[in-house]
Amino acid sequence: MNKKTRRNIHRAAKRTTFYIFVTGVVIAMLLPIYFVVSLSFLSTREAYRYPLPLLPELKIHYKMTHGERGYLLSVYDQIDKEYQTVMDTQDLDKMSVYMKSQLGAPMSVSEIQQQIARLDTEDPIYFTRRKNLLYNYQTFFQVAGTGQAVPALIRSLEICAMTIVISLFIGGMAGYAFARYYFKGRNALKFSVLFVRMFPGVAIAMPMVIILVNMGFYDQPIGLSLVYSVGSIALTIWITASIFMGIPISLEEAAQVFGATKIQTFIRITLPLALPGLAACAMYAFLGAWNETVAAIILTQFNPTFSVVVYQTVLGAVGQVNLAAAGGIVMALPAVLFTFFIRRYIHQMWGGVTV
Amino acid sequence: MATLQLKNLTKRFGKKVVAVKGINLEVHDGEYLVLLGPSGCGKTTTLRMIAGLEEATDGEIILDGVDITDLPPRKRDISMVFQSYAVWPHMTVYENIAFALKLKKLSRSEIDRTVREVAGMTKIGDYLDRYPTQLSGGQRQRVAVARAIAVKPKLFLMDEPLSNLDAKLRVATRTELKAIHNKTHATTVFVTHDQSEAMSIADRIVIMKDGEIMQIGTPEEVYNESASIFVADFIGTPPTNFIDVQVVAAGGTLHLVNPHLKLPLSPENAARLKGQEQRNLILGIRPENLTLTGETEANLSAPCLVAEPQGSHQVVSIELDDKLLKIIAPARPAVHSGEMVHLKFKQESLRFFDPQTGQRI
Repeated sequence: MNKKTRRNIHRAAKRTTFYIFVTGVVIAMLLPIYFVVSLSFLSTREAYRYPLPLLPELKIHYKMTHGERGYLLSVYDQIDKEYQTVMDTQDLDKMSVYMKSQLGAPMSVSEIQQQIARLDTEDPIYFTRRKNLLYNYQTFFQVAGTGQAVPALIRSLEICAMTIVISLFIGGMAGYAFARYYFKGRNALKFSVLFVRMFPGVAIAMPMVIILVNMGFYDQPIGLSLVYSVGSIALTIWITASIFMGIPISLEEAAQVFGATKIQTFIRITLPLALPGLAACAMYAFLGAWNETVAAIILTQFNPTFSVVVYQTVLGAVGQVNLAAAGGIVMALPAVLFTFFIRRYIHQMWGGVTV
Repeated sequence: MATLQLKNLTKRFGKKVVAVKGINLEVHDGEYLVLLGPSGCGKTTTLRMIAGLEEATDGEIILDGVDITDLPPRKRDISMVFQSYAVWPHMTVYENIAFALKLKKLSRSEIDRTVREVAGMTKIGDYLDRYPTQLSGGQRQRVAVARAIAVKPKLFLMDEPLSNLDAKLRVATRTELKAIHNKTHATTVFVTHDQSEAMSIADRIVIMKDGEIMQIGTPEEVYNESASIFVADFIGTPPTNFIDVQVVAAGGTLHLVNPHLKLPLSPENAARLKGQEQRNLILGIRPENLTLTGETEANLSAPCLVAEPQGSHQVVSIELDDKLLKIIAPARPAVHSGEMVHLKFKQESLRFFDPQTGQRI
């Protein structure tokens, strides 16, 4: 083995190790997401089966025959490759409900009766039904939060919008002040705005409740968005201050020399240049407000946010993993969409390069 | 087209720092005035006060008879080219130039005509749709100039607009700036620390130091009739040579004497220094006014330290009391280091300065 082949082998080994490592990391990141997505499409029977199927079945193959107590219903199991008995009953209503809620392949009572009629000529009979993959999602919106899921979703979006507006407005202005003006205690003040992020929501829950009750904002979207804004304002100040510092002051001075007022200068020069930073702030504000659960549980009563509804699904009486998974996906979707939408602005550049 | 007057203009930063110390200045209609000085002399601060970007602590700024001292920049009818160009990166070249015109609420066709006109004048007509980041430094600088011309201001301010360009482009651009000025005849105040730039484009030069005006004059005046040691030293490359001398009366005329030198004065120079016998003063003479000559006619002889050939001429340095004396001599015959150099002083180019005040006598 000469030197060159040895070096090539060494290099190939190094590269292979690297890719194995990267693949491992990627799998570790994607696997949980894959399981939640797949779980959200599984029927209840599939979801509680062991081992858990990797993919939901698209069709259900039924087998029916006369049983001891009535009609014996069996379902084909893809993993065990055999029909398994699921129920033996005369109550067709019960059978219909079971098909819908446990198997996700619904049949009305009359449809079942039609099939039973065939039992006179052949026994057993076989029939196939397409599975309703979105059953968990439909159920989630009907059942979760006792029908509160849709209003809670809207409420959460409202809260996020308000949080973004409040934190960008106040945080952006403060960030501009920190970037452009020199005053006593500037750095101390800038550092101290981070203090508010050091206290966990649970620790200051009581004072928050009392203050919001006194303001009349308890159990209202505006109250929650105020609470969320406190945290995201701090972050917004830090991000926007550094963005504004990166915008040369001569660009603003030029605008003023060429006829713009201070407000025109801010709107037409500074703001567009700061857009990527503001977009990042909006994203953080949105994600913070959207995902927050602890404060929302404490500060709402009859008007929960969406995260609270999902939380209740995981814990509460409904308590089915596939429903919780569907709720989780519904919860994650707006955050993912918003992040992808705002990404365009974070990456926005003028003619190739930023300021 | 305007005249600008600065009356007792003062700028203080905090309580201790006085950046501009009550300067008085008049800029004539259509004039190209250059504020020249080393960094920290207050020239940029003065310009920024004229622009309204810096508040004047005291004094008045009068443009065409109107006191604009307390007006915001946008109401002053001025335009400015910044050192960093300050072209807006999120606007195309066209939008950059049109920005001020839009704010003036001009009609769309009028804006379009003006933009194309000034773009043609500054040779950026092909780049109107580009963003500044897609342009080179020189092109961005043109955009800044075009933007400034487009508003047809009463007064043009330029804050070291050439200092970010490379040396060759700088020289080319300053010629173009001068050419544009010859077309527009706009009253211009130009700030620079580069004396050769100032010499080449200015109608008049204002030399500043430590917030004060040292001298105002045409390039020839400040060069040939420098009012102080500072000006004589600051203007010209290589700068003026300074020699400590004593005035001594001997043989019916006055001589300038130091251990290396005994220079008899011409009748004109003697008349100027009459009655100042025994006085110590500083003799200033520009490098081109020292001529190489034969040993017998020489006022001063010393060995050459270094000779730097420049093609068209050579710069010969000799050492005199630890101070370098530079001579601009014809390229031929070449002088070699160590060789004895014999110098003759041009009498009409001798300048005398007071060693205490540094002022011209």
